[in-house]
Amino acid sequence: MRFTLPSGPPVTFKARLHDARTATAIGRWLGLAMAVCFATGVLSHYLQHPPGWLADSLPSRPSWGYRLTQGLHVASGIAAIPLLLGKLWAVYPRLFAWPPVRSVLHALERISVAVLVAAGLFELFTGLLNTFQWYPWPFSFVPVHYAVAWLLLGSLLLHVAVQWPKIRDHFTLRSPGTLALPEADGPDRRQLLLGVTAAVGAVTLTTVGQSVTALGPLELFGPRSPAHGAQGLPVNRTAAAARVSAASLADWRLTVAGPRPYTLTLDELRAMPQYEVTLPIACVEGWSKSARWTGVRVRDLLERAGGGSGARARVVSLEAAGAYRVMEMGRLYAQDPLTLLALRLNGEVLSLDHGYPARIIAPNRPGVLQTKWVGRLEVA
Amino acid sequence: MDFRYVLGGFGLVCAAWGGWLLLQQPEPWRIAVWLGGAVVVHDGFVAPLVVAIAALVAVAGLRLRGVMRGALIVAGSLTAIALPPLLRPGGVANPTVLPLDYLRNWLLALAAVALFTLAYVGVRAVARRVGREGHQA
Repeated sequence: MRFTLPSGPPVTFKARLHDARTATAIGRWLGLAMAVCFATGVLSHYLQHPPGWLADSLPSRPSWGYRLTQGLHVASGIAAIPLLLGKLWAVYPRLFAWPPVRSVLHALERISVAVLVAAGLFELFTGLLNTFQWYPWPFSFVPVHYAVAWLLLGSLLLHVAVQWPKIRDHFTLRSPGTLALPEADGPDRRQLLLGVTAAVGAVTLTTVGQSVTALGPLELFGPRSPAHGAQGLPVNRTAAAARVSAASLADWRLTVAGPRPYTLTLDELRAMPQYEVTLPIACVEGWSKSARWTGVRVRDLLERAGGGSGARARVVSLEAAGAYRVMEMGRLYAQDPLTLLALRLNGEVLSLDHGYPARIIAPNRPGVLQTKWVGRLEVA
Repeated sequence: MDFRYVLGGFGLVCAAWGGWLLLQQPEPWRIAVWLGGAVVVHDGFVAPLVVAIAALVAVAGLRLRGVMRGALIVAGSLTAIALPPLLRPGGVANPTVLPLDYLRNWLLALAAVALFTLAYVGVRAVARRVGREGHQA
């Protein structure tokens, strides 16, 4: 028995707009969103886990830098959801191209597109679920999200290189490829693109309040809201989760290690020169909120322990366990006058969930490195 | 011409780096299942659903099609980002995680899309009628 391919494709599409102009028009915006998402994501990755050679050159300014870039990371990822779905809709009939494979090169191209689609869907899906702290998959989120980001970037660049002639021929309304399409499709396509644009606007406006406090009232679907949280600030890890209790802090002392080590009680810390700074907590999950912090400058504490102007810091939390219990702070962060060992938040003594009796607040850093329940500071 | 090879070659290097990083993970095949699963769910379920809905909208007639399609794209996208907080099982780490009433907000958003669409269609119809009467006068 011989198996023969049917002469025509098994599926045909009568609907219009599955064309290169639609794909180009949506694809450009999708490409831009993914470029922003990739760049801000890699930046965040290195800020959160800096390799040794980089740790001392990471800048502590602008103080709102990480708030902006990580807000953009999550916002561009969310904006990419309608764009990716629209783009895939435009090219969906190509899935049923007939014959399925024309040549080795054609097969390789189709495989690369499959990788691109898989990586794109995977990144947006896992990223979105991560912001909701939902992890239904059997692997570790951070390294896999990071690895697939490179897979996505690579297959996207390859895709642009392969499709470049088509992109160029359909880039503007006056491009030759666009003009060759049925003229009657023009208004229809404009309406479709308007719909996709409206969807991007809608998903952005209903989520971006988590990072742009002024837009908080419009937030419908963000996983955090600036309006919720003790002392005006959301919490990620509670004292209970970190197994820190008021009783365990009864004899609290700050130990400062260095060439001239010393310890301080909370009253002695309060007697030192206090500074007030306004800095945001900016979480890797995208939410952020600014607050007023009062406390002692970390560089003053390091200096008193004999750390020079080039001193870095190692900060150890009293939490029982956790990936960020010990936090390394590069030179530029440790010496920045905005970097405090904070004792007060928005005019009140820190609540236990916000890191009582003392926590780190530094400019331009991921929230997970703003160590709470500090017990020990080392000149490093 | 040349820059396409440079761009494509650079893309291959980046993708290979990502692939190598994935192979360093314990049990990389589990990740491959999720990557492949994303394509299967999209191409086999989401896309056909959209195509089927599009066919229904096409029946509704040419004049309303564009508006209805736009409304459905917006409502569908809002639903896509509303689904994780609506479906997420298990408790939350503390009361500031997922603090909103997401079901209410989702229904509010769909109602807003419907109202906006009706208003748009209504304003357009009135504008057309006024335009026509203007011609007759």
